[in-house]
Formats: sequence, C-alpha cells, structure tokens
Amino acid sequence: MKLGLVKWARTKSPWLVHFNTGACNACDIEVLAALTPRYDLERFGAILRGSPRHGDVLVVTGPVTRQVKDRIVRIHEQMPEPKFVVAVGSCSSSGGVFRGCYNVYPGLDSVVPVDAYIGGCPPKPEAIINGVAALLAKIRGG
Amino acid sequence: MSAPPEKYLAEEIKRVFGDRVLELKTPRKRRLFVTVNPGDYKEFMKYLAETMRITHISTMTGFDAGGKIEVMPHLFGLGVELTVRTSVPKDKPELDSVTDIYPGAVLYEREVHDLLGVIFKGHPDLSRLVLPEEWPEGVYPLRKDYKAQQPEPVRKG
Amino acid sequence: MSKFEVPVGPQHPALKEPESFTFVVDGEHIVEVRPRIGYNHRGIEKAAESRTYIQNLYLMERICGICSVAHTTCYAQNVEYLYEKEIPPRAEYIRVIINELNRIHSHLLWLGIAGHEIGFDTLFMYVWRDREHVMDVIEAITGNRVNYAINTIGGVRRDLTDEAIAKARKVLDILEERTKYYRRVAAAEPSLISRVKGIGILKPSDAVRLCAVGPTLRASAIKSDVRKDDPYSAYEEIPFNALSYDMCDVFSRILVRVDETLEAINIIRYCLDHLPNGPVRIKLPRNPPAGEAVSKVEAPRGEDIHYVRSDGTERPARYKVRAPTLGNIPAVCDMLTSKADCTVNIADIPIVLASIDPCFSCTDRAIKFVDPRKQKEWIWSHQQLERYSRRKANP
Repeated sequence: MKLGLVKWARTKSPWLVHFNTGACNACDIEVLAALTPRYDLERFGAILRGSPRHGDVLVVTGPVTRQVKDRIVRIHEQMPEPKFVVAVGSCSSSGGVFRGCYNVYPGLDSVVPVDAYIGGCPPKPEAIINGVAALLAKIRGG
Repeated sequence: MSAPPEKYLAEEIKRVFGDRVLELKTPRKRRLFVTVNPGDYKEFMKYLAETMRITHISTMTGFDAGGKIEVMPHLFGLGVELTVRTSVPKDKPELDSVTDIYPGAVLYEREVHDLLGVIFKGHPDLSRLVLPEEWPEGVYPLRKDYKAQQPEPVRKG
Repeated sequence: MSKFEVPVGPQHPALKEPESFTFVVDGEHIVEVRPRIGYNHRGIEKAAESRTYIQNLYLMERICGICSVAHTTCYAQNVEYLYEKEIPPRAEYIRVIINELNRIHSHLLWLGIAGHEIGFDTLFMYVWRDREHVMDVIEAITGNRVNYAINTIGGVRRDLTDEAIAKARKVLDILEERTKYYRRVAAAEPSLISRVKGIGILKPSDAVRLCAVGPTLRASAIKSDVRKDDPYSAYEEIPFNALSYDMCDVFSRILVRVDETLEAINIIRYCLDHLPNGPVRIKLPRNPPAGEAVSKVEAPRGEDIHYVRSDGTERPARYKVRAPTLGNIPAVCDMLTSKADCTVNIADIPIVLASIDPCFSCTDRAIKFVDPRKQKEWIWSHQQLERYSRRKANP
C-alpha cells in the first residue's frame, strides 16, 4: 500500500458504512444522532454511505449473532483496501452484556479485524464522533 | 359487575370445567392462572375463544419442568390476564396447536418449538423462527440440560 | 408451477442470508409473506436464568435500546409482584414520567424515520433535532440518554431534582408546540398524505384476529391500551385519553403516534403537578418468594409482556419476554398481502414495514423475493428496496 496514495485518498471525505450485527438499536440511534445537525459528524468530512464496495470505514454496532456472522465477514471482504473497522459500543467490543450467550460471538474482533473500539452502552454521539475523528486523524497522519 | 373480573372468570371456568381444572389461582387483581390436562387443553382454549370471547393471545411461555415441559399461553380478555398451563412429557412433547382458534398464536408456538422442542400438532409451519439454520437438530437452548456456549471465535481478537 | 433459484444482487450466491421476510410475488403484486426472524436473537431468556434478579435489570434494559425503560419497568414490576409488595407512590409517578418521555422520544424517532422512508429527509432532520430536547431532559433526570438505569426492584434509583423538573416543564412546552406543528403537516401536506393514505390496510377484524398491539392496533379502530385495560404503575390515577383512528392505514398510524406524543406531554405535566412526596424505593430481600407472575406495560410499540417463575433462589427459574414487535408480525404480513379488494405492491413494503415501528434493526435487513410465475428469486438489501420504492413514487 503506497503511503502517498493513502494520504491523498485520505484527504477526501472518507465514506462510512454502518452495519448492525444484531444490536438492540441503542448504538444505532446514537450513530444516527451523530449525523444530525446538533452533533454533525459530517463536518469531520465523513459521509455515511450504503454500499460496502465504496466504503472506507466500516462502523459496526451490535453483538455479532450467528446469523449475521457470514454477512459481516463478507461485507468486510467486499470493502476495498485500505479499509478500517470501528466497533461501536460494548457489544461489538466484547459481546457486552450478551457475552457468553449461545447465539453471540465474543466481540467483533473474533470475526473481523478491528481498528478502533468506542466503548459505551451506548456511547454518546460525542464519544462516537471522538472515536471516528481520532481514527481519521490516525489514518491521515499515515 | 360485583365480582372483580378475575374472580368472575374463575367461577365461570370452575362451573363449566369442574374437576378438569387441575389448579386455579388469582394471585392479584386481573391475574388468573388455570392448569388443565393436555387432553382437555384444546377444548378449554376453544371455550375461552368462542364462548368467553377472549381473543387476544399475547405470547406462549414454555418451561422445562424436569420430566415435563409446561406450555403456557397468555391470553387477555374480559379485563383479565389469563395464563393457561398444560404439561407434556419431555420424551414425547406433543400438544395440539391452537392456531386454528387463535391465529395470533402462529409465531408463539413456533418459538416454543424452536427453543424447547414441543411439537404442535396441526401447526401450519414449525420451521425455525429465531435460531440459525445451522443450529443442530434436537438441541433446545431453553431446556435445563443445555449449557450455553458462545460460538467459537473465527479469529483471535 | 415449479420455481428455481436465481439469486441476484451484491451478495454472493452461496451466502446464506438471514432475511427477515420472504415475499412471494406475481410481478409487482405481493401474494404471500413469510417471516423469519432471528437476526438479533441473542439468547436473553437463557442468560436471564444464570444471572441474579438485580443483574437481569441491566440485561432487560438492552433488549431494545429504543424502548429500554419499558422493559425494565415491566421486569421490575414482575419481580415486585412476586414479592407482593407495593412500591412508594413517588416511585410510580417517576416511572410514569420516564416511560412517557421514552414514548415521546420513540415516537419522534419513528416519525423521522417514517419521513425518511416516504422521501422527506428534511423531516427526519427536523424531528431528530427536536427529539434532542427529550434526550436532554432524560439525561438531566437519569444521567443517561438511552439506557437510563432508572428502575430497580423496589422503585427507582434516582429522585427528580428541582432543576430536572424545571427543565422538563420548559422542554414539554417546546415539544408541544413542535408536535402540534408536525400534526398540522401530517394532516395537511398533500405529498405526504398521498404516500400513506390507503396504504398498508389492516382491517379491524384482522387486527383483532391476528392479535396486533399498540399503535398498529389502535390505528385500526381498536381502542386497546395496556395503560387502560390492565393499568399498572400510577396510570390508574392519571387522567388521559386512549385514542384510536379508524382509517386502518399508514396515515392512521402516523396520527395515532403523533397524538400519543401530545397525550404523553399532558401525562407528564399531570405527574409533575401531582408528584407525591416520600421515598423513591423500598428495600427488598435478595431472593423473591417462589411463585410466578405476569407483567405487562404499554411500550411505545405496544403491549410488552413478561413472565417470571421463581424457585425462591436468587436467580429466576424462567424469564420470558415477548417484545411488542413480534406481536405485530402476523399483522404486518397481512397488511402486505394482496387481497381481492386491495392489491399490495413491492414498492409499498418499506413504508408499510416502517408503519408498525419494527424493533429489529432498521439498516440492512435483507428481504427475499420469489416470483413463481417468472421463475425467479432475488434478495434485496433494505437500501435497494428503498431506492426502488422511491423511484416508483417519483417516476
């Protein structure tokens, strides 16, 4: 991966793809709230897009259920390099309150590699923005 | 009405079903629990739906009671939250489906089948509802002998 | 007529898709709907059996992040029924206040999402901006925006401060004005009404037969509400209107939820004006007595029912939860099935599904289609279905 190309690519607005792996929706509504004018995640230059094929950053909520595991792995595979994964919330970080349950993987990183963890149940929009902005700064910094 | 609704309904049920009611209790206002044998279960549910016009089924709870599995539809009508209980043997857990009387029960019976293995005779579609397709046959997570095991990680975290 | 599989779409053909619904279609028309839930089945009921009653409070709150407190209220009540103990009146009033604030946030959230489904993205932004006021009040009272941790077994964990009460009163005034504005828009904006009137019909007889709950039921002329039919907490003392509308369509469901939001504002004001003095919790022994109980609350989506069986130990022998959305799945399948007097098109799916306010994830639900006559099957993501629906609405 050519670092110069990466830095150039990173000066454009990274496209975020949001995926729910069986979450209770708490993290999802705070991710959505982060997009609304009060918090305005987009001012950091991040845009929420639907398709993984054009995504740069995969924003994942939820404890990964068995039903969804293949799908999240596949979506991760479909994303072009360079790609980054953010685990939003306690469930995707470790399984959260559902750790040990028979239908839930112990955290997103037991299924795909994760670059950033934003803890909280759910994390507030400020925390989500903070986490994504920190990841973007790290990417841009090379 | 002079009697509280749960008392009124209790009296009616006792009057019609007599000693086919194995147990009946009203632990608080608007709560009634009635236990019947599986052989009387469908007739009892028909009576509740058609004679007493109790048409709302909220859900069905299944419970592993050791040698038996309890099936408990929870109904609401006449101002009473009524729980019906019947038990089937664990080694032959079959019970009449009530989906012809309570169409709203279709997903609740399916769920009890998925998680506890009760077979509801006459149910239109007992395919999996909440467990994944690859979940092994004959393994019922809500049975007491099943010990919850989280899935094996695909990679090291 | 035989059918064979031709999976189409960005998903790999060999990938097993946890689709929530399969639609059997004939061209544009939907002929049959088969539900298959499980996308977010986590195994909560099993987990509840290996945790103590207090630990389970935290589990129950996370069944659904949107109506979190409805589940903890239903749970706490259920366990309190086992103890056969009444909690202090002030705690009951605080529970009502939080539950009604939760109802407002949930209905506003839904209104924004429904707006988005119809194609009114600005409505989404406006409503979610207004909703932030509710989040602020909830945070002022409970310390959290989404999972409040306000309920405990025996009452509530925090009392209302004077500042929180003052803030709540101010916010309620703002919300009332904004909600009345949305009410006017909903009732009068032709481009909105044309997208929702006559869509997603659920006849009253079908709503009752299929045991629908909540606003979905009330929008089909059935005035059924747990707060009135099986009053819990302080609702028996609080004057409020149970409402229903009889158009039986998506429009009806919008009006029910907007009016319930206005009603919730009044309920909260009443509670603040009549807040009883006294403690906010009682201490209860660690293990409830052996026994069983059934608890119900009117969550924003409808009737939430819990069942508990205690064997006298510190862990429940059985805990059963039926969240409201499951109660509306047979009804939404009926709404989406064409009948002799009413055809339903694929393009209607997103708004009709949204109209029951489903509690499973709103992003990326896969939906499977089967057309036996044309002999094809395909899977769409929710986004693809939305785009298709919008194209059909604006040709």
